[in-house]
Amino acid sequence: MRGKEIYKIYAPNGAKWTDWVRPVLFVAIDTYNRKPIADWMERKAMFLKNYQQDTAIFVDLPGKESIELSIDLAYKGYRPIPIFNGTDEQPGSQATTDTYLIESCLINGSEKLKNIKLDNNANPAFLLDSYRTNRYRAKESIFDNSWDLYKQDIPSAEYFKQNGITKIIIVGDGIQRDLKKIFLKFQEKGIDIYLTDGYTFPQKVKLTKTIKERFEKEEI
Amino acid sequence: MKLIKIPEDKYYEYKIQAMFDCYKWDPQFCDNNTLSKHILILTKKENEEIIKLTKSLDKETRSAEEYLNKNIKIAKKLALPKKILEQIPNMQNYDKKQNIRLMRYDFHPSIDNQLVVTEVNSDCPGGFAESSLLPDLARKTIGMPELEYNSFGEKMVETINNKLNKKGTIMMVHCTCFSDDRQVMQYLGDRLEKEGYKIIYGAADHIQFKEKKAYCILENNQVNIDLIFRFTPLEWLIQMKPRRWDGYFNTLTLSCNHPISIYAQSKRFPLVWKDLEKAGIRMETWRKLLPETMEVKDLGLKKGFIYKPVYGRVGEKISIKEACKDDEYEKILQDVKKHPNQYLAQKRFQSKPLKSEDGKEYHICLGSYTIEGEHAGYYARMSLYPRIDSYAEDVPVLIEK
Repeated sequence: MRGKEIYKIYAPNGAKWTDWVRPVLFVAIDTYNRKPIADWMERKAMFLKNYQQDTAIFVDLPGKESIELSIDLAYKGYRPIPIFNGTDEQPGSQATTDTYLIESCLINGSEKLKNIKLDNNANPAFLLDSYRTNRYRAKESIFDNSWDLYKQDIPSAEYFKQNGITKIIIVGDGIQRDLKKIFLKFQEKGIDIYLTDGYTFPQKVKLTKTIKERFEKEEI
Repeated sequence: MKLIKIPEDKYYEYKIQAMFDCYKWDPQFCDNNTLSKHILILTKKENEEIIKLTKSLDKETRSAEEYLNKNIKIAKKLALPKKILEQIPNMQNYDKKQNIRLMRYDFHPSIDNQLVVTEVNSDCPGGFAESSLLPDLARKTIGMPELEYNSFGEKMVETINNKLNKKGTIMMVHCTCFSDDRQVMQYLGDRLEKEGYKIIYGAADHIQFKEKKAYCILENNQVNIDLIFRFTPLEWLIQMKPRRWDGYFNTLTLSCNHPISIYAQSKRFPLVWKDLEKAGIRMETWRKLLPETMEVKDLGLKKGFIYKPVYGRVGEKISIKEACKDDEYEKILQDVKKHPNQYLAQKRFQSKPLKSEDGKEYHICLGSYTIEGEHAGYYARMSLYPRIDSYAEDVPVLIEK
């Protein structure tokens, strides 16, 4: 399957939330001729018993795990929305972030997803790679393909609310600084933020600014 | 100018093809779809008029920047960042024949049926694939192959071939953490690779300079560079640590753009026109097309002006009230008060929106490229409100025969 066909499985015509599926890594599937991985692992979303009408999910695990977990979320009624936004490094150079594995896993994920019947209005499970912010360069010759999630990469708090979403569950080890920046605003606008490690029941979190953040100039 | 709507039943496939075949990797910005459901059509006469004006503007701009480069006293009025001012002596070896000069001029239709130019994207204009591939996809989608377009990419390839003769290594310098920068580079890189060039994608600090010549330090890509194609804005480049960017200013390696681009990139550019005219440089096309512009401190009680940041991009921080979201307008005014030198006051013109078939009215910004003084295609965006910013839609431009 070509990147375009795989993309269409994640973003079928007429399905809600799919405008946010990022094409970058799907395009790379063709450019670099990626193949599915052999060690795909079935994962269970232990933290979630049932589909919740008022809830959206952000899976912030290592890319492969995010995609694997998203299939169980799809079985539970959530539509996986990959928003991976990194680019591949210059061939031959070393990179800060591994996009190859995610590109391959998207192929595996699409093969599972095409057999799952999802409602066109299904709530979203946005998929992230928790390694995205790794921008440590041991040498200057390393290619920095790390990336942050910005507020413009996802729907606004208003859009979530207009579509009945008042709860966001983040699946991850913690709330990374880019997510915190976005969800602080969401929280101010009345959306509750929950955190789970993927196994335990999600706990409501109250995001606050650090002293340093309080004194930072706010972006216009 | 007019808008033609892409049929609803064809739009999904059009968007998919735009993403996969036309390098449109950023089709969504917050809640906004940034790939228009319309096509902008220019008449032959409009096209000819804009090309004429663009070439004239470009001639004036290039004369101006060469003069400013030799006259630091006047260049200082542009309020260039200190680190760039320090580099002006290093730019004295600038030779326009040794470089490729690329710019994009932003045209807007106004209610008095005139064209207004609001700025030149002098340093790092983007939108290459939207200008080069999207128009062809659009005319195929609506089944109107008779409509024409000027491809930016083909013009750029021709210019590079004239300089490098299909041999050598080109480094596509960009902010490697941003996929929307990479999409611009990747389109041109792929196209140039077909011509036979070796293409390297890297960040500004992946280039080092030896005897004023650029070479790449990326692992397994350590080669001399024959052309630096830079998409990292100079204001960002000079923030790089450790400081290794000085070489960009006096390199003998062919550059597009050479840092000489900074003079016209400053929105304070109109403030030195009087000095330029005294020196015999004609700025009449600019004077005819740019709304009155002045320093914030000189505005006094004058009405009908907006504020623009000196180094603003994609419409950010422009104080058009009805286009501002949440408390953005109040925040801009506060920022202007705090940092008046970082802004300019510009007379607001009344943008004339185009009515689409669905009854909506769209404001248009038609970017007209020049490469080495020649017109090189269009990149247009449109918006429901009179500020063309990151929420705006990319709209392909086609020309009637």
